[in-house]
Amino acid sequence: MPGDCHYLEGNVNALRRVEYTQKLLTQIGVDGRRLRMIHLSSAMGHQFAEEATKITEEVRALGPNPLRRTPAPPEATAEAPAPPLEEQTS
Amino acid sequence: MIVAEQKPLDEIKGLLADAGKVLVVGCGTCVTVCFAGGDKEAGILASSLRMATRIDGSPKDVTHITVQRQCEWEYIDPLADSIQEADIVLSIGCGIGVQALAERFPDKIVVPGLNTTFLGLPQEQGVWEERCAACGSCILGLTGGICPIARCAKQLLNGPCGGSQDGVCEIGHETPCAWQLIYDRLKAQNRLHLILEIQPPKDWSTSRDGGPRRITREDLRLAAEAAD
Repeated sequence: MPGDCHYLEGNVNALRRVEYTQKLLTQIGVDGRRLRMIHLSSAMGHQFAEEATKITEEVRALGPNPLRRTPAPPEATAEAPAPPLEEQTS
Repeated sequence: MIVAEQKPLDEIKGLLADAGKVLVVGCGTCVTVCFAGGDKEAGILASSLRMATRIDGSPKDVTHITVQRQCEWEYIDPLADSIQEADIVLSIGCGIGVQALAERFPDKIVVPGLNTTFLGLPQEQGVWEERCAACGSCILGLTGGICPIARCAKQLLNGPCGGSQDGVCEIGHETPCAWQLIYDRLKAQNRLHLILEIQPPKDWSTSRDGGPRRITREDLRLAAEAAD
């Protein structure tokens, strides 16, 4: 439950970051509604099933992830061969 | 620190135009601390651009790299090979970093991914406030360590103005009146006599009015460079 986290208010902080990520995904073109966070305890199996079903239906209504329609270019790489920060002089 | 924030993704995509290979360059100093242009943000932006350009139907090859300081030649020179391979460089350093890369690698197009905003500090996590306007003539010794140039909307030297109400500036409720802060601080320090001194009009020639500024320390220059 909000504020009742092993890390105290950590799940409230996490929710803010999920909301930020939703905005980021919407800017990218992947609808931010595909990502969400709900507060549940380990004893709330029934609510978990309900939420999972609800999310599945809502995401299905949004249609396929647009990234699936456009495959990545074969030469695309994730990261440049960057020297790690700690190896640089300071 | 220099505080900046990322430009909207659509604006960044517009700056990249038709370039196929994009190198995002982060900076490990000020913009890392304000969560705008560090290694983490460079990675997220590169990933966002890869996804967004795929969805747009014109996928770009976007990679990222971060240097400790984009504003010094010693740190950006090792980027030469990575930059050579890119069609365009997207700097998420401050405006100084962008210009340093553009100056060091003049054959490459370098574009900014951030809006450099102000010199300030994190008031609390996630909140940054302006503190210094780099006016070139510091008067903090007279104002209790509170800058009326950076923190008073009118940059008054003999404030406050009539727009100060209950300690708040008329421009908005989240902005404290700098001169109220100065008064309170000086009163608490029993130094209110300082506020009674009338300050003459400020000489803005040390600030932007004097054009781009330059500091030369002959004692620090290397003989070979000084001779150029």
